Amino acid sequence: MKHSKPGTFGGNPPPTAPPTITRRSLIGSGLAALVAAPWAESLGASQLLARPAAPYVRRGLPQEDELVLGVSAAFSGPSRGLGTELYRGSMAYFNQVNENGGVNGRRIVMKLLDDGYQPDPCVANTIELMQDERVFLLFNYVGTPTVTRALPVLKTFRDQQVFLFFPFTGAEPQREPPYDEFAFNLRASYRQETAGLVDNFVNIGRRRVAVFYQNDAYGRSGWAGVREALARHGQTIAGEATYTRGTQFSASMRGQVEILLDRSPDAVICIGAYQACGAFARDAVDLGLHIPVANVSFVGSENMLQLLQEGRSDPNSHTRWLVNSQVVPSYEDASLPAVQEYRELMAQYDPPPPNDVERITPNEPYETFPQSFVSLEGFVNAKLITEIIRRMGDDPQRSGIEEAVFNVRNYDLGVGDRVSFGTNRRQGLQRVYYSVVDGDRFVPLTDWEASFGMP
Amino acid sequence: MRVHKLFRKTRFSFFALFGVIVLSVSFLSIRTVSRELEDEYVSNSRSIAKNIADSSVDILLNRNLATLQSLIDQFVEIESIRYIYITSDTGEFLAHTFVPGIPDEILASDPASTETVDRSLPGMGEFIEVGSPILSGVAGNVHVGMDEELLRVKIQRAVGQQMYLFGIILVIGTLLSFWFVSFSSRPLADLMSFAVKLAGDGKATGEEDVLGRDDEVGELARLFTHVADGSEQDDEGR
Repeated sequence: MKHSKPGTFGGNPPPTAPPTITRRSLIGSGLAALVAAPWAESLGASQLLARPAAPYVRRGLPQEDELVLGVSAAFSGPSRGLGTELYRGSMAYFNQVNENGGVNGRRIVMKLLDDGYQPDPCVANTIELMQDERVFLLFNYVGTPTVTRALPVLKTFRDQQVFLFFPFTGAEPQREPPYDEFAFNLRASYRQETAGLVDNFVNIGRRRVAVFYQNDAYGRSGWAGVREALARHGQTIAGEATYTRGTQFSASMRGQVEILLDRSPDAVICIGAYQACGAFARDAVDLGLHIPVANVSFVGSENMLQLLQEGRSDPNSHTRWLVNSQVVPSYEDASLPAVQEYRELMAQYDPPPPNDVERITPNEPYETFPQSFVSLEGFVNAKLITEIIRRMGDDPQRSGIEEAVFNVRNYDLGVGDRVSFGTNRRQGLQRVYYSVVDGDRFVPLTDWEASFGMP
Repeated sequence: MRVHKLFRKTRFSFFALFGVIVLSVSFLSIRTVSRELEDEYVSNSRSIAKNIADSSVDILLNRNLATLQSLIDQFVEIESIRYIYITSDTGEFLAHTFVPGIPDEILASDPASTETVDRSLPGMGEFIEVGSPILSGVAGNVHVGMDEELLRVKIQRAVGQQMYLFGIILVIGTLLSFWFVSFSSRPLADLMSFAVKLAGDGKATGEEDVLGRDDEVGELARLFTHVADGSEQDDEGR
């Protein structure tokens, strides 16, 4: 039997002579090209432009001594700070857990895929994590437009019982039917954050509240929260302006500020990411819109503050009117055991940005923060998921995840409030905190009237 | 040379005939393409608006505006669609795709109307807007704006392709007609040369190609020779 050489099928093909080029063939091909020129695109010329490959990083299947948590988040692009800091906070806790023998003898590892805060890559990543990587659960997803599109994937593969834990979004889709049964949330919702902001503004006489928001599912979720909260006070949204997801800090927000200036609001609530919201806060001050500018927790407070203060002779020239809601307590509050532990472990490990993830946009510099609200949220997410896995015993199975979560009742996570889950309670924490800028950091806001009362 | 002059009219007639055919077919084709492309454009957009309207019912009833926004964000990725907005039964804008804000022209329009309208939005361009009611309008309305400029470009491209094809047919047809006329007139030119020679010399050598032809030109040449020979004999008899 004749064997072919490795890597070939049936031996090497005979060498083929180069095609003979004759005058007739040249004229023929020239005429054909001339006649076909206007149709070249539709005839498939565009197919020659190869599409970039999906940002997948394939590794081996999970080992027996490890539990893999699948993460699709923004590790590149304008919101890379959010995915990176959330990861760093979680890694600080997982490092300590793994160094102490893991959970019931298993190390907890994260399988990271970059979605750049874009829905389509997030959907592809989710399928990859579930089908190819066979992760134990999904964890630390970042963003509403991404999570909103990934939820139908979880429903499609519901027989696999893969749950999404603690996404970094306060939107409603994963908190309400038909997708609430596929996700568990730890943080308070945008509805709660925006309601708190609106209530406090109305209490100090700022009843005309406008909204500046990212024009996607995230922005709409916050917009709806503001609308609902204002309706309870008999008010409507005083004005609204939008921006496109992915807008950079260098972009001008003059158009948006001018739209809101025309509506004469008493306060603006921003539902966006740090680059665009930072640009809006900057242009609002520059164009004379001197009213409180509130941001919800997703904004990434430290990232925004860094942009607003960098390179300015007066670092606080554009931060006087900022008030940000948070879903974790201040990382300065060392009286809380979880915060104390977070500060120690962040100082001990100082986790670098992930280097084993293939980024959609590579080579973007990123400077980490010693502490931040986002990394603290990643830390408490990791702390709680570790506790849930611990409760699943020596042989954790996906089928036992829901029961383990529902057994978390009045659990003291060390952040002040206790955590409870149940069949009708798929969000662990309810509290919203408020912070303002003091020097180079956000500190708790104690007196709304003194800080933002009407003149 | 006079023979060529005679066929100039034939050449011109061929060219004129081709031209008339090409122009009339082009005109008809362009009109048909333009009308059908526009109809298809509007029809597709109506289908999209209806699709969104049908998909929005449960989402609206669940007050899930984030999902509603996510839904329209997916549709606005379609090349021809430039904006989508959904209004409630009271006219409130529940979801939209405008940046940096909803244009004043749209704020001032009747949100309950689902008629197809032409819109010119400052800074954005010109659009054809179609609408579709959600639950017969009791739950609101969907409005989809299509880029009219893009439609124009598509029509121009389609028409350009057709003109290009017709142009090539016209050029090839004209060249072929020239070749055909030249081919047809060559025997007459030979006959003409033969007749001129016969008139000068008074007799043929018998080796001329034209005499060997078995068509009407050959017969005519032989007839000329015969006439010339007869004339010569008459002269000698006289």
